[in-house]
Amino acid sequence: MLFEARDLSIRFGGVHAVRDVSFAIEEGEVFSIIGPNGAGKTTVFNLISRFYDPDGGTLAFRGEDITSTPAHHVAELGIARTFQNTELFERETVLANLLIGRHVHRRTNLLKDLLFLPAARRQEVAFREKVEEVIDLLHLQSHRRALVGSLPYGARKMVEIARALCTEPRLLLLDEPSSGLNPEETEDLAFWIEDIVADLGVTIVMVEHDMNLVATVSNRVLAMADGSVLATGEPAAIQSHPEVLRAYLGGTDEPPPAVAEAAP
Amino acid sequence: MRFVLTTRYAQDVALFRHNGQRFWYGLLAIALLVAPWLMTNFYVGEAAMVFIWAIAGVGVMLLVGYTGLVSLGHAAFLAIGAYTHAALLRYGVPLPLALLLATGAAAAAGALVGYAALRMTGVYLAVATLAFERIVAYLVEHGGALTGGVRGVAMTQPQWFGISVIHSHFFYYLCLGVLALCIFGAVNLLRSPTGRAFVAVRDSEVCAESMGVHLARTKTVAFALSAALTGLAGALMAHKIGHLVPEAFGVNVSIQLLLLVVVGGLGSLHGVVFGAIFVGFLPQILALARDQLAAFGVDRVPGLEVGAYGAILVLFLIFEPLGVYGRWLKIRAWFDEFPLYRKATYKKQKSYLRTERVH
Repeated sequence: MLFEARDLSIRFGGVHAVRDVSFAIEEGEVFSIIGPNGAGKTTVFNLISRFYDPDGGTLAFRGEDITSTPAHHVAELGIARTFQNTELFERETVLANLLIGRHVHRRTNLLKDLLFLPAARRQEVAFREKVEEVIDLLHLQSHRRALVGSLPYGARKMVEIARALCTEPRLLLLDEPSSGLNPEETEDLAFWIEDIVADLGVTIVMVEHDMNLVATVSNRVLAMADGSVLATGEPAAIQSHPEVLRAYLGGTDEPPPAVAEAAP
Repeated sequence: MRFVLTTRYAQDVALFRHNGQRFWYGLLAIALLVAPWLMTNFYVGEAAMVFIWAIAGVGVMLLVGYTGLVSLGHAAFLAIGAYTHAALLRYGVPLPLALLLATGAAAAAGALVGYAALRMTGVYLAVATLAFERIVAYLVEHGGALTGGVRGVAMTQPQWFGISVIHSHFFYYLCLGVLALCIFGAVNLLRSPTGRAFVAVRDSEVCAESMGVHLARTKTVAFALSAALTGLAGALMAHKIGHLVPEAFGVNVSIQLLLLVVVGGLGSLHGVVFGAIFVGFLPQILALARDQLAAFGVDRVPGLEVGAYGAILVLFLIFEPLGVYGRWLKIRAWFDEFPLYRKATYKKQKSYLRTERVH
């Protein structure tokens, strides 16, 4: 098991944003989190990234408890993420944006940087080589020296995924990777995600609204509503799960007909 | 337009991108080295002062322009550098060691302020640093024999191989050498992980943190480095001032330093040099303007200079937020792309909705 969240809870004032959410992620799978707006999906991501301290529950990554690991240490452990609305350094080039992804692998200190000793120079070249591998993988060659601020939104999304990959993560968190992309770009994204899993052996957790994309790439899906887990299981089973349908489409007050629990 | 063929990754971190740059910077270096022999002593002194402003400017730029933290308290670091340097020289510490220790003292103060102000940004940080500046000013005024209080303290001007430090040519080369080292150090930082961490903190703290940047450490380092360079400039400035008094390091000096980086162009080291030239010669320009105003009888209005600083700062923020260096880039782009230059290239892009702050 690569990652496990157990009984995760957090409150913001009177809002119980996430309550008793538990899930486990196996190495090499694509795990999607779906749910209507305000279900607490991004909050779960922020909990995993350690931006929020959970009020209850534990997080474990590769058997190690990370419930109180500082946020800046999470990337070093091997968890990288992207953001819903992209958080790029817009006045910098794509290259500069990707190089910050190598920050967790820095071996130089302030003094070596200040004097740009041979070690710092070698490190920069090694960083570039790694960045170029990611550029090759995601076909970003044409944007290499472009300012991020001048790129179309779809390209920015890819740059952000590329930057996360530059940290060489074991677990990649994608927060709505297809939002703002056109259908064609979304289709490409499905291929990239499959490539990332197959070529780099990275495990992916994504929050996503596009059910087509979710059904195409996910091994398992977790559906949330109002901060709680509705169901976990295969994409097809989740899509026809009555609780999930009710959360998305609304329903009558009468209790849903009893159905077999979706396969875990 | 020049296209550089890149065949090795090391080229991207080279100091000079192509031979054209090597040529022009070499020419500039030669010009700076022979300049004192072609100028009157007054202008040699003024040039040295521009170098000192530039040293402090590099420090302020690292903090304001690259890390995105605004400080109104940099006059305090200038004062700490100057008074430490003066005291050390009085006790017979050799000049290079005194300069180093003064830099160190300012760096320590900077780290302290930086650490204390970790959670503040923007206006709050500006006010906090302003408060720090007032505290230091108070300590200087009541420092007894160490600072000479409001009456000030005379600067010891040591000899160096039989030449006084303030001999105009010697001082010119000293300041030029120190400035060259500071710029070299800043360029090095900016092409390595430390500098990238600064920029990451400036552009998105959330993202920087998720990329493994230690926010507290990065901000503290930025403050300490910035204060160190400003303190070093203060130590050199002390020689120039000759007699240190508290008024020499007032709030308006902090504003002048801010003016320097804004006029020069936030986020560029070239901008520091342009800004330093501007701030260095501004008093002369204002003095000339004052003479002109005398005809209208308004040359004795109090606060004329501070008012002018403020007005220039506001005008730049409105009409050329990228400063002189930004304007230079636009002019160069115009020639490069003639006749296809598009004004919109440098228009501020529509920024997409940003992730809500999580702290």
